[in-house]
Amino acid sequence: MSTTRIDITRDGVNDVPERAVTQKSINDDVLSMVGIPGKVWWAIFLLDLIVLGTALAAVRNLIVHGWGVSGFMRPVMWAVDITNFVFWVGIAHCGTLVSAVLFLFRSHFRRAVYRIAEAMTVFGVLTAAMFPAIHTGRPWFDYWLFPYPNQRQIWTNVRSPLEWDVFAVNTYLTVSSIFFLVGLIPDAAAARDRAKHPLLKLVYTIFAFGWTGANYQWKHFYGAYLFFAALATPLVFSVHSVVSWDFAMAQLPGWHSTLFAPYFVAGAIFSGVGMVIFLLIIIRKAFNMQHLVTIDHMEKLSKLVLLTSTMVGYSYLTEFFMAWYGPSSAERDLFWFRAFGHYWWAFWIMFSCNVIFPLSLWFKPVRRNMAALFVLSIFVNIGMWFERFVIIVTSLTRAFNPSNWFYYRISITELALIAGSFAWFFMFFLVFVRVLPAFSIAEIKETLPMPRRRANP
Amino acid sequence: MIHRLLDPILNPVPPKFHGVMGIFYYVDDAAEAVTALRQSGHKDLNVFSPVPHHEIEHALEQGPSLVRWVTAVGALLGASGGFGLCYYTIASWPLVIGGKELFSLPPFTVIGYESMILIAGLANLLGLLALARLPQIKQVAPYDPRFQEDRIGIWVPCTGEAVGRVESALKGHQAEEVHVHA
Repeated sequence: MSTTRIDITRDGVNDVPERAVTQKSINDDVLSMVGIPGKVWWAIFLLDLIVLGTALAAVRNLIVHGWGVSGFMRPVMWAVDITNFVFWVGIAHCGTLVSAVLFLFRSHFRRAVYRIAEAMTVFGVLTAAMFPAIHTGRPWFDYWLFPYPNQRQIWTNVRSPLEWDVFAVNTYLTVSSIFFLVGLIPDAAAARDRAKHPLLKLVYTIFAFGWTGANYQWKHFYGAYLFFAALATPLVFSVHSVVSWDFAMAQLPGWHSTLFAPYFVAGAIFSGVGMVIFLLIIIRKAFNMQHLVTIDHMEKLSKLVLLTSTMVGYSYLTEFFMAWYGPSSAERDLFWFRAFGHYWWAFWIMFSCNVIFPLSLWFKPVRRNMAALFVLSIFVNIGMWFERFVIIVTSLTRAFNPSNWFYYRISITELALIAGSFAWFFMFFLVFVRVLPAFSIAEIKETLPMPRRRANP
Repeated sequence: MIHRLLDPILNPVPPKFHGVMGIFYYVDDAAEAVTALRQSGHKDLNVFSPVPHHEIEHALEQGPSLVRWVTAVGALLGASGGFGLCYYTIASWPLVIGGKELFSLPPFTVIGYESMILIAGLANLLGLLALARLPQIKQVAPYDPRFQEDRIGIWVPCTGEAVGRVESALKGHQAEEVHVHA
C-alpha cells in the first residue's frame, strides 16, 4: 500500500511538523475529534450555559415587565436587538459563501474549511432569528409574521420590507440547514461505521441516511449538491440585500440609500470570514489539525477579509461623499453627527476595526501569522457589531425633527442579550465539534492524489 | 439495556445476497474491472467508494443526474406560488398603505424570488433522496466499512456459472480480496 503526501508547506513557512496524510488517516484524524468531551470542554460549556442563563433571565424580565426594562424608548426602538439580528445574519453569510460560492468557482481551498463555515451559518441564523422574535414584545404571537388563512381574514403586508425579511431569513435558514445536513451524509456514514456507543451509532445512522457510498448515490449527491450551491449563491446576496432594505426603504437620513445592498453584503462576508478565522484558529490548535487546515488555507481566508474590508471601507467613504455632494442637509448633518457627535467613539471603533486594522493584511507575514490573524478576527467582529450599532442608533437618535432627538444608552439588560447571543451561538458550536465531523472527510480526500497502479494515461 | 434495544436497528441481520464482491485499492484497477465486467454483460453492478472517481463514472457510463429536473419544477412552483400569494393576499384585502400601488411588481419579486429558492431547495432535497434511494434502510449489497475509508468495492450480482467467471475477472484485475456470496 502506498502512502501519498500532500504538500502542507509553502514558502518554507509551516507551524507543525509535516505529517503523512492518507485517505484512512483523514478518517482517523477527523473522527478523533468526536466523542466524550474532556474537562476543558465541560468547563467552557458550563461557563457558556451560565452566560446563556443570565440572558434568559433578561429575556424573562423583558417579556414579563415589558420593553421598558431594557431602556428602549422612542425614537430608538430598534437598538441592540436589531443590531444583534443584523450582526448574526451577517456572520451567517460567510458559511454559504465558502460552501456554495467557492464551490461554484471550483476554489479547492474551501474543502478543508467549509464544514465549520456551514455550521456557523446555521447557528448564526438560529441566533439572528431570535432577536426579531423577541423584539416583537409578544413572542407568543410571532406566528402572525407568516401568511396563513385565519379567522381575522387579514394577511401579512407583502409590500413591507419587514415581511420580505420573514421570507428571506426563513428561506436562508431552511436552505442552509439542508445544505449543511446533506453535506454531512457521507461523513456521518464514516462516523457510523466506527461508533462504539449505541446511542452515538444511532445518531450517526440517522444523519447518514443509510449511505453506503454506492455509485448511484454519489451521482445524485453531487448532482443535487451543485444545485444546492447554485441556489444558495444568489440566496446569500439576496438575504443580506433584503436585510439592508429594512433600512434603505425608510426615509431616514443615513438609511435611505441604494448603496445599502452591496454595502451590507460585503460587510456580512467580511464579518463572517472574520468569525470563521477566529473559530478555525481555535479548533485547529485545540484538536491539532494544522495538517488539515494549513497556513495556506488561513492566508486565503485572510485575503477574503482584506478584499471585503476594502469594499466596506469604500462604502463608508461613499456614504460621506454622497452626504456632502447630495442635496439633503439632514443627510449632511447626520453624517457629521456620526463621526463627531455623541457616538463618535462607536464610529471610530467601527472605522478602525473594519478599515484601518485590516490594512495590515496587505503584508504576507501578517496573513501567515496565526496570533496576528486571531487578534484581527476579533477586531473585525467588534467593528462589524459597531457598524450595525452606528447605522441604527445614530440615524434613529437624529431624525429630521430636532424635538425628536435623543441620547440613547445601552442598558444592562441589553448587554445581557449581547452576551447571551454569543453564548447561544457557542453552545451549538461546542456541541457540534464534539458530535459531528467538523471537517469534510470526503471532500478533503478529494484533494489527495488517488492511488493508481499505473501512471495517468 | 440500550444495547439490547438498539441492536436490531443498528445491526440488522443482512439479507441473503447472490453475487461476487471484489475489493480494490487502486482506482485504475477498479475502473478497468468495471469496464471489463460491463462488456461481459454485467450492467447491473454497483461500485462503492469513499469519494466519487471520474474514471469509474466513465466506466459505468453514468449520465447526468435527473435531480436537476425535480429542482427546476420546484423552482417554477415556488416562483409562481410566491407571486400568486402576493396577488391573492392583496386581492383578498385591498388595503392602500402609504399611497402605494396595490399590485406592485418590485416588492412581489422579493417574495416570489425567495419562495422560488425555498421550494427549489426542498425539491432538490426530495429529488436527491428519491433518486439516490435514501434513506436506505434495507441493504442492497454486502457492505464493508472500508468503503468509507480507502477501499473501492465492486458488487456484481450473479448466480450459477457466472460466479466463477466474475470471480476470475475480478482477480484478473488485481482485486485485493474477492468474496463470493452464493
